[in-house]
Amino acid sequence: MAKDITNILEARGVSKRFGEVQALYKVDFSVRKGEIHGLLGENGAGKSTLMNILYGLYKPDEGEIYIEGKRVEIHSPLDSIRLGIGMIHQMSTLVPEFTAVENIVLGTEESGSRLNIDFSRARKEILELSEKFGLRFPLDVKVKELSAGTKQKIEIIRALYRKAKILILDEPTAYLVGDEFDQLLSSLKILVDNGVTVIFITHKIREVMQACHRASVLKGGRMQGTVDIEKTSKEELVSLMFTGQNIDVTDSALPNVIPEPVERSEKPVCVIKNLNTYPIVKDGIVLKDVSFEVYGGEIFGIAGISGNGQKELAEAIVNPSIIASGEVIINGKTTTNLSTIDIFKMGVFYTPEDRVYEAILPTASIKKNLLLGHHRDNAFLGRMRTLRWNRIKGVSRELIKRFNVKTPHEELEIRKLSGGNIQKVVFARALMNPIDLLVTHNPTAGLDMASVKFVFEQLLELRRNGKAVLYLNEDLDELMIVSDRIGVLHEGRLVGIFNRDEFDKNKIGALMIGG
Amino acid sequence: MNNATSTDKLKQLWLLTRPYVFALGLAFLFTGIMLGLLGFNVWEAFKALITTSFSSKFQIVETFKKFTPLVLTTFAFAIPFQIKFFNIGSTGQMIMGGTIATMLGLGMSSFRVPSALAIILILTAAALTGAFYALIAGALKAYHNINPIISTIMLNFVAMQFTNFVATTPPWQAPLTGHPMSKELPKWMLLPRLFSELHIGFLIALGMVAFVYFIMKKTVIGYEIESVGHNQRAAEIHGINIKKTTLVTFFLGGLLAGLAGGIEVLGVHGRLVEGFAVTSGAEYGTFGTLTALISGAEPLAVPAVAFLMSILLNGADSLQRRLMVPVELVFLTQALIVILVVTMRERFRKR
Repeated sequence: MAKDITNILEARGVSKRFGEVQALYKVDFSVRKGEIHGLLGENGAGKSTLMNILYGLYKPDEGEIYIEGKRVEIHSPLDSIRLGIGMIHQMSTLVPEFTAVENIVLGTEESGSRLNIDFSRARKEILELSEKFGLRFPLDVKVKELSAGTKQKIEIIRALYRKAKILILDEPTAYLVGDEFDQLLSSLKILVDNGVTVIFITHKIREVMQACHRASVLKGGRMQGTVDIEKTSKEELVSLMFTGQNIDVTDSALPNVIPEPVERSEKPVCVIKNLNTYPIVKDGIVLKDVSFEVYGGEIFGIAGISGNGQKELAEAIVNPSIIASGEVIINGKTTTNLSTIDIFKMGVFYTPEDRVYEAILPTASIKKNLLLGHHRDNAFLGRMRTLRWNRIKGVSRELIKRFNVKTPHEELEIRKLSGGNIQKVVFARALMNPIDLLVTHNPTAGLDMASVKFVFEQLLELRRNGKAVLYLNEDLDELMIVSDRIGVLHEGRLVGIFNRDEFDKNKIGALMIGG
Repeated sequence: MNNATSTDKLKQLWLLTRPYVFALGLAFLFTGIMLGLLGFNVWEAFKALITTSFSSKFQIVETFKKFTPLVLTTFAFAIPFQIKFFNIGSTGQMIMGGTIATMLGLGMSSFRVPSALAIILILTAAALTGAFYALIAGALKAYHNINPIISTIMLNFVAMQFTNFVATTPPWQAPLTGHPMSKELPKWMLLPRLFSELHIGFLIALGMVAFVYFIMKKTVIGYEIESVGHNQRAAEIHGINIKKTTLVTFFLGGLLAGLAGGIEVLGVHGRLVEGFAVTSGAEYGTFGTLTALISGAEPLAVPAVAFLMSILLNGADSLQRRLMVPVELVFLTQALIVILVVTMRERFRKR
């Protein structure tokens, strides 16, 4: 490996402010040529902001950027691409309907004129790159047919095709399963051996220890320091990431909570019987013959790669109109023909997967968001189907206090809150009244450590009180921390159920990808 | 401390009104340039446009008379617009309401019932006609996902033909007139006057402003409409029936447009006249749509903007009469205001 100690990229004193939030404060950050440099920090630490500045999506309020010692101004992604920076975003940015070749050529003008793209020349070049870096993928299949890992390879080659010298990978492991992480690692090694520099953004300490030569740690928008991985330990990275936060963390950077033993109820709270659903979106996936029970005092985890029927399962419980056959039974009563409001009144609540697009009314006040789903509760209704806004306001204030939502008042537009505080509002709504079953889908996505801990505590509190929790999460690490049992969904079928003492990441992971 | 918060409030107010101030300013600037280029006296024109409405008792009454149907057709657009659907059909709903009102009134004319009862019956029938007429578009959206822009425009044509048919066909047709119109309704059936030419339709419209405010801000259904407008998917997941909400917004919108039709027939014309829903050269429905877009469809902003629009429309009439400025120039101003308000709102939203 090239041990060149000149800095290929350097940021000096970079600050960026979004409204009230100081996302970055006088951050110094330097990357040496030919290294894999980890950028570590929990969600909200400022990693993405820093990278988006380097990629030209944001303009820094102050600070300078140098590439190979030369001061540069990056106004747009186009500038950044010209300077040799390639960005691999967390979510695929490929056009699903295009093939790999079409995606890679898209937006480049080198391969012939705009009217007549020289695909054969591009193809040859792509194949050469692909061989050289050991990143192989089918060239002529629409990328929507390909796995997350394969799409990532295409994105890397796309960046190299644009002559990138510095690759930024934003949380590259978020959607990888099985041995795709090891494959990515070996590809990165080949890349750096060929003189490419890699910036590896993650919040998982374990990955930095495995993949990187050096790592810089961001916390609360401030640079905590840069360390040599050979000379550091997990503990040192943990303390850099979480100084001052009294939280015990695992090496996946998750709160290290241990569920206490709880007696589970004799009768199940929720029975899912031979459930088949209609698709929620056109041509979407459907559930096929899913059966299981969730007991009181139990957290039942659902594992699976995103899009294998999790959303359909969660929604079938609160919205029976998507059930094609089979039934859901809550506390002995079938939900067939009931409305969502009826089911909520039976002691069920749901926190959907997508916090902004499904869980909240982003442009409405916190108060109106707390009311959602409870708006037909008798407690809030006055004469002539009016809403008792005074009472709603009072309840909102109590909930804001009880769940420690950081906001000046209940009338604030909810989108102005941080992700963690939005999630507190979402949980406050779900737990406003005593419930017997909580269905919660990816509740920790994108949250910082303290907020993840808050979510785990809420789930465990329900469990301790003998309530049932159906906990759907694509992140197996998280499921394994709090679940009593884990069921695995694959292509709409429940392909296995594991008890806590049988949890095995490899076995569950294999089922997730259909093994 | 107190001082700081009051300047803060002032700053907030400025941030809120800034796009409108810029939009109005620019719209009048452009109109002024156009007027100047066409050789009119810009100062006199603007003076006429803005001050006419306050120049005499007659003009104040004229302004209120324009405001009455305008505020109703504005809500007819604004309510479905809360959930992002375009009801372009308030014209059709209004003239259907007016036509049915006329038919009912003429049918009832030989039965001597108390005036108040007749008026209530006729206006209720007009409102319900508009409501059910709008419901056709609502149902097409809810059950067959047909874009209301298309269905409401088509339904406008149907309504126009129907009105024309009634106005040119016995027993309703007035004999010996060149213009399609119905026989006159008996005097005792017409809306009583408050003073001069101002009929009680004005008060009914104000009552409807309060009614819409009550529905939108105080009731469950208003909350559901608002929630669907904020985020349809989240609303649906949390138990709000999107189909039902769609139907309700069109029903309410059509109700108000239909009522406007009934009020115009009983309050202004005393009969069905082809084109009775037209003012200052275009339909109340069209002006209502513009007004709703400018006001951002906020229930409290609607009456204020509708009033300003009435002043402009009344001013435009006088502009045409006194200075021979084509009324189309005021359309230009209005069009500019709409485009600029929407643009400025976007422009100032960034960062």
